[in-house]
Order: sequence, then C-alpha cells, then structure tokens
Amino acid sequence: MGKYRSRKVHPTPSPDALKNLLYAARDELTTETRLARAGLDALNRYSDRVDELVRLIFGNARKCTETPLALLALGGYGRKQLCLHSDIDLMVVFDGSIGVAEERSLKSLLHPLWDLHFDVGHQVRVLRDFENVETDNPEYLVALLDARFLDGDQAIFDHFSETCLGDNPTWQQPIRSALLDLTEQRHVQYNQTLYQLEPDLKDSPGALRDASAVRLLARLGNGNGTGRRASDTGRLSEAEDFLLRIRSILHLERGRNLNTLSHELQETVADLFGSSDEQPRRQVEALMSTYFHHARIISRSLAASLKSLGTPVTVSSTPINDDLARAWDGIRFTDATRASLRPRTWLRVFEVALDENTNVSEQVLTCIERHGERYAPERFFPSPDERDLFLRILRPRPGLYARLSEMHDSGLLGRMFPEFQKIYCRVIRDFYHKYTVDEHTLLTIRTIERLCAPANPSRERFANLLTELRAPELLVLALLFHDVGKWTNKNHAEESVRMAVGALRRIKLPESAVTTVQFLIRHHLQMSTVAFRRDMEDPEVVNQFARLVGTEQRLKLLCLLTLVDIEAVGPDVMTPWKEEMLWRLYVDTYNRLTLGYGDEVIDTTAAAIAELTTARPDDISEQDIATFLAGLPQRYLRLFEQSRVYEHVRLSRDIKRSEVHCALEEKGSAWELSVVSINQPRLFSNICGVLSYFGMDILRGQAMTNEHGLVLDVVQFADTESFFRLNPSAKPELVDLLQDVVAGRADITQTLRGKERGLAPRGPSRINPIVHFDRQYSDRYTILELIARDAWGLLYRTSRVISQHGCDIELVLITTEGNRAIDVFHITHHGVKLSAASERALATDLDAMLGKQNEDDQGDRSSE
Amino acid sequence: MKLITAIIKPHMLDDVRDAVAKSGIQGLTVTEVKGFGRQKGHTEIYRGAEYSVDFVPKIKIDIVADDPQTDSVIDAIMASARTGEIGDGKIFVSEIGQVVRIRTGEAGTAAL
Repeated sequence: MGKYRSRKVHPTPSPDALKNLLYAARDELTTETRLARAGLDALNRYSDRVDELVRLIFGNARKCTETPLALLALGGYGRKQLCLHSDIDLMVVFDGSIGVAEERSLKSLLHPLWDLHFDVGHQVRVLRDFENVETDNPEYLVALLDARFLDGDQAIFDHFSETCLGDNPTWQQPIRSALLDLTEQRHVQYNQTLYQLEPDLKDSPGALRDASAVRLLARLGNGNGTGRRASDTGRLSEAEDFLLRIRSILHLERGRNLNTLSHELQETVADLFGSSDEQPRRQVEALMSTYFHHARIISRSLAASLKSLGTPVTVSSTPINDDLARAWDGIRFTDATRASLRPRTWLRVFEVALDENTNVSEQVLTCIERHGERYAPERFFPSPDERDLFLRILRPRPGLYARLSEMHDSGLLGRMFPEFQKIYCRVIRDFYHKYTVDEHTLLTIRTIERLCAPANPSRERFANLLTELRAPELLVLALLFHDVGKWTNKNHAEESVRMAVGALRRIKLPESAVTTVQFLIRHHLQMSTVAFRRDMEDPEVVNQFARLVGTEQRLKLLCLLTLVDIEAVGPDVMTPWKEEMLWRLYVDTYNRLTLGYGDEVIDTTAAAIAELTTARPDDISEQDIATFLAGLPQRYLRLFEQSRVYEHVRLSRDIKRSEVHCALEEKGSAWELSVVSINQPRLFSNICGVLSYFGMDILRGQAMTNEHGLVLDVVQFADTESFFRLNPSAKPELVDLLQDVVAGRADITQTLRGKERGLAPRGPSRINPIVHFDRQYSDRYTILELIARDAWGLLYRTSRVISQHGCDIELVLITTEGNRAIDVFHITHHGVKLSAASERALATDLDAMLGKQNEDDQGDRSSE
Repeated sequence: MKLITAIIKPHMLDDVRDAVAKSGIQGLTVTEVKGFGRQKGHTEIYRGAEYSVDFVPKIKIDIVADDPQTDSVIDAIMASARTGEIGDGKIFVSEIGQVVRIRTGEAGTAAL
C-alpha cells in the first residue's frame, strides 16, 4: 500500500452533543416526512447529517490505532437513502492486521453508535481480504456495490474500489450473480407480481430494492447498455422518490424499520399526501394507483436491465417477414416508424413471440407505449383477421401471461379494450385479495397457462378438462373480462357482462361465442357458491346447478374459471380442501348432465315454449313445434339454438317409416350430419356404419327420440381422408347409402365386413376400456357408459352389439377427447330398463368386442 | 371455560356462525378438515370408473365459551347444523385452563 494522506482529527464529542446532533437531524426529517416530502433529497440531507455524526465518532475511534484504516458506508446508507429507522451499514477496512488496538478502535466506533440506538450492520476487513471474493455472502457482495467513502484513508478506499468495483471480472461476475439470485428469490416470495395490495416498500417486486438493482446492474455494465432507455432514468428517480416518501412515513408511524404499506397505514399515508378527495377510500385508491404506476416503471426498468444482460456487442436481427424480425431481446419491428402508423400489425408481434416462445422486444413495447394513445379501439381490429389473431393469442400455452402482461404494461390491452383499462391498478380492499384487480385477472390466466404442464398431481384432472375444451380461448377471454365491472360498486358480475358484451361485439365475435363468454362472466361466482355453501349431497342442488350450466362444455369452462379465479385471489386461498369440493361438484354435475338428463323432458305447453313459437318462421306452425319437441329431453333446447330447432322441425315433416331426412353441413374443420327418421331396430348402428364406411371419424354427437318415435341424430365428424374434397359426388353418395340402409335396400354389416379389417386404430396410447351400467340416474333407461380407445367404426360396432341384444337406443351422447371415445347410451329392452342378467350379457359381449379391438390394436402396433 | 369443537357439514357454516353469534359468542376459529365417521367415505364414479373417496370434507369450528354459556352454544350449533341425515357431525367439549388476550394481557373470561 502507498503512503496515506494525513487527516484532520476531530475533537472528541460528548454523548449529549452526539444526541443533540442526531435529534436535530431527525427533527428535520420528521418535519419533511409529515409533509410527505421525505424523498430522495430529504433522505440525502439526513444521510449527510448522519455522516457528520459518524465522522465525529470515527475521528475519535481512529486515534486508538496506528494502522491505516478507512470507513465506508454500504447498502442504502451508501446510496444516501437512510430513513428514520433504517439500519446503517458500515465497513471498516484496515491496511494491516487486526490486533488489540484495532479492536479498541472498532469499539470506540460502534459503542457510541449503539448508544444512539442505531441498528448498525458492520463489516470489518483488511485489504488482503479483497484478494478473494466472498461468494458465500451474497448480501454483502451486493451491498459493496453501493460503497461510499466516509472517512479515514482515501487511498484504502481507492484500492478497494479499483479491486472490487472496477471492471475486474473476478468480482463483477459473482456480484452480478448474487444480485440476480437475491432478486429472483425476493420476487418468488411475492409470487412474482408487483401488484400486492399491501406491498413491502423495500422488498416487493417493483419496490426500492428493484430500483436499486436497476442502478447496480447499470453500474456493473453489460458492454453496451442497449436495454435501458434514456427516458427511464428520470422516471426511475421519480418512482424511487415517491416510494421513499412513503417509506419515510411508515418509519415515522411505526417507530421501527418496518416497510409494509398495510391497509391501515394506507389511510395515514394517503392523508399525509393530502389528496383532494375527502373520502378516505378514494384517497387510498388514488395513493395505491400512484404507487402501482411507479412500481410498474421500476419493474419495467428492471426487466429491461435484465434483458440487456444478454446483449451481444453487435446487435443484429433475422427478418421473419417484412414487418418483424427476431432479435437478441425478442421479436421487434423491422421498421418502428412504419409500425407506429399501422396498429393492426402490433398484435402479430405477440403471436410470433408466443409461437417462438420468446419475448417481445423493448423496441416494440416502447413504440406501442408512445403511439398507442393515438388510436381508437376499432383501429386494432379493422377486419375479422385481427379478431381471429387475438383469439389465437389467447389459446393457453407457455408465455401467455408474460405476453398479456406486456400488452397491459405497454398500454395496448387498455387501448384495444378500454373496458379493461377501467380496472388498471384497481384496488379492492378486503381480507382475502392480495393483488389489484388487473393483476388478479392476469394471474388467473397464468394459472390456466400453468395447467398446460401441471406441477401438482391433483391438478392433472383439471388439466385434462383444459385439453377437452373445444375453444379454450373463450375461457381466457372470459377471464380477461370477468372482473372489469369492479370499477363500480354495483353488482360487478352484471356490470362485467355489460362491458364485455360491448367489447366483444365491437370486435365482431360470433354471437354464439359472445353468449358463452357472457354466461361465464355472469355466473363466475356461482360454482364456488354451490361447492362451498350449498348442500352438495342434496340431488336437487346438483340438478339446479346442472340446469344452470346446461352442457358439459360450459361446465368444464366454469369449473376451470372458478379454480383459477379463487387461486388468483392470494397464494393460499385455493386449498386442497376447496379443490376437492370443487371437483366433487364438477363430477356430480357432469354425471347429472351426461347420465341423468333422460327423464327431464321438454314441457310443450304453450307458455313453456312461447319463445320458440313467437319467433317461428311463417312455414312452421305452433303445432309442428310442439309435436316435434314432445318427449325430447330438455337437454335438446340447451344444445340447439332456435334456428336449429326450426331446421329440425322442417326435416321431420312428412317423414315415413324407412325414410331418412338429412342435412349435411360443413362446420369449421368438421362436418355435421343431422338425420331425422322413424325409430326402428339398428337405426343408430346403421347411421354410424354408413359414416364408418366412408372413413369418417365421428367426433361428437347425440341421438334423441321423441314420444312419437321420431329420432333425431346430430353427428359431427371429421373427414380425415378428405373423401368429400377428393370426390365431388361423395356427399350425395353418403346420403343415398344412408337411405338405402335405413330402407333395408342395403346391408351395412355386409358392406363393412371387408372394410373393418382395414380400419386402423387411432392415437398412440392404449386405454383400458370401461363398460359401466348405471341404474341410479334414470327411472326410464338403463344407462351404459363406454370409454375406450377411439377407433374407426367403434360406435358402429358398439351400437351393433347393443342392437343384437334386442335393446333400443333411445338417447346417445358421443364425445371424443384426445384418443378416447366417451359414449353414453340410454337404452331399454322392450320399453323398460334392462334386467341385471341382460346387463351382464350385454357387458360380456361389449367387453369381448372391445377386447378384440385392443388385440387388433396390439397386432397393428407390432406390425408397425 | 370450555373449548367447544364442532365438526359440521361445510354448507352449514354460515348458519352455525349466525346462531352462535346470537348466543353471545364473539369469536370462533374455522378450519377446513377431512375425515370420516359413520358416514364413511363414498364412491365417486366419473366416466365409468369408480374412485373411492375415503375422507369426507367437513368444517371444524373451535369456540371457547364461559361455563354458563356452554349449553346455549351447544344448543345453537345443534339447532343450526342439524339436517337429520347421517353426516351432520359431532360436538366435542373439553376444559380450558386459561385464555389470554395477547394485545392487552387480559386473562380468563375477560379475554373471551
């Protein structure tokens, strides 16, 4: 070590003099705090006053030793952000070994500080200690970054600074790792979200430690600092200043170093900030909205700093198309100026980022942030293409929460849907909610995203429901809007429905999808009410709930919505107990919907079907409708809209025995065949056989019989072999064969015999078949549930076995989920339920048929 | 003083809370529990497969009452939690040695 400059020796201060100095400094800070002005400047001045005090004490302490030494301020004290009851972190560095004299000097420094009731965090080192990095002490390493020279020998500090704080990679790398690890651990403690309703001003995401992390990362450097925007620095300081002003008030009010902005203290802080609103609740809401605004700025700055850590020295990008490119920090615009003029292209960035499982770049977010306000909501959805793109974005998958959060933070979500902006940083104060309404909403979607790969085995059953949804994006859409009505104190579910419907019609969402979303939002609290506050052992409670949801798809949607809505209230709100109760209600209701619907037939009195008869077209009479509906299960009206009912009535006209009236329509990627006929043996089996003959993959459907023996079969199937596309005459051929088979002019069993051998199994995994009879759910029917590996012709073979036993198939529900076929048959034998012996015989033959299918599957696999 | 522990059906919680509040009780603790008594578990059938549910979800309520209050609290729970069906639950009563309110240091019945 070189020669040290001689330093001024302070006179020995008396304890009273020290106290007076401290009290004067605290009085000054207290005055500023009461005026809500104790931010960066005030704390800087207070830190200066504490510096003065510490130097006085240190001047006396250093007389005790001849060894050169330096006194450093670390951490928050190093940053000059001391609040009234903050710890003061000090480090004494000796240039020489530590003996009795040095220990005496340390005591002379620390004892007076303790007598003044400072909480002192002290580190003592000798210069050679800095030859090694203390990687096992991450907090210490991070605190070093804020080290500030207080007193003593400047050259010691210079040496320390050159060694530890310079460009030395031996130190930089572990300090950066320690900072990143501590930041990550801290964020995990707060569920990775800044929107805490009772935030910790120091440790929460978006709070003071994060602001400090941004500055420290900038100081550690990343080569070119591309991740930070110049405008961030001013906004970051402003945010930090606001948080420090609140922290100062907390210290004053609590009389301790406690930094949680509790509900109770929010009122005090809001009052000191002197909001113009006289209502305490509104004052608090204004305070918290401002807090979240600043916390979000800090959080965004930190995110940008973290992204910039990976910045290559030369920033290059790979074009994806004319508008977008793949860059080091995610997807960016090839030309930000051009993109700023074309808001319809912005959503595409988020879709590509999701597809490629990467980020949206800061360039894009900044562009949206700066220019978004210029555009009305309609400008983002000029055609159905943009609406469909938005729906594709909403399909649950990894990264959805992050992308939606970016959309929200950059203001895009609020510009596209001003309805969502109404809950921006909205605070709901109650015992349970931990997050703001907008963040609660986004967290529900994060829980849905996590169901794509559930970490907890008990969540697998819910994850399966998610895979069974036909339009999971509607669930996410409903979640996005389910609480927007919380901006008022009205019935929030109804207000949310009103707002959501307006938004969804604006983007021209198909009316059937609007109805589904509307249903989910309106009833988003209903399932938890029934599960936790109603007697689920009472069958009528489950019946009523089943009537409310109507269909299995809606039940699954509502069940998942309920699960994630509760989970996003707070970390421990969705307990395993509640999860079990929710699942139990789901199962009971599912069984009711699929097994227990047969006995509830439509009431065809004039009043009950008034809606249908009033809106009927001219060619259909009231009597037509009543005759067709008589004896059909109520489920029919839940499944089919009015226009479909009228189509079915038309199909039923003038039908004669051995005739079929059909309608074949393309519906998205599938086809739908509606068949009306007079009930006769093997009718359902014959229809399935014809579809199988043409290689059609039956996806879902139902068959229902009315009291006049009229049968309606509606079957959706996929033309996996492109038969219709490749053969222009295929559609009439299918209808002709169907008519011939039903009329007895053709034998589908014979026709299929040759083809059956060639029918390959579908899907990769083996499924143990289940044949289950239920006697509980219906007074009229025996209910047969069959779960098996999906295969071409399965439904035909099953219904053929049932018919061979002389059973009539009255109602059928067909579902295909992944490679599983889930079919429910309501059957009778000579008009009554099956006897136990008949059930056993039928089960034996069905087991044999399914067993043979499994053998065939294995044979096929072994030959593959 | 007595500790009254009641195991009840979950949906009865609101009624029981209101009933014991009317009988003068100012606080209670609620816990989500699972277990079985004579009701045992049940068999759940989902898509044709049977699953045995061994433990039935219940709510446990803990109330500490002054001795003279005990009977009226038990009566209130009985009246509000009873459906007459199996699975209505049970009430356990045990002695309490001492109660202290942490905030004020009050002890005994004053702390209830």
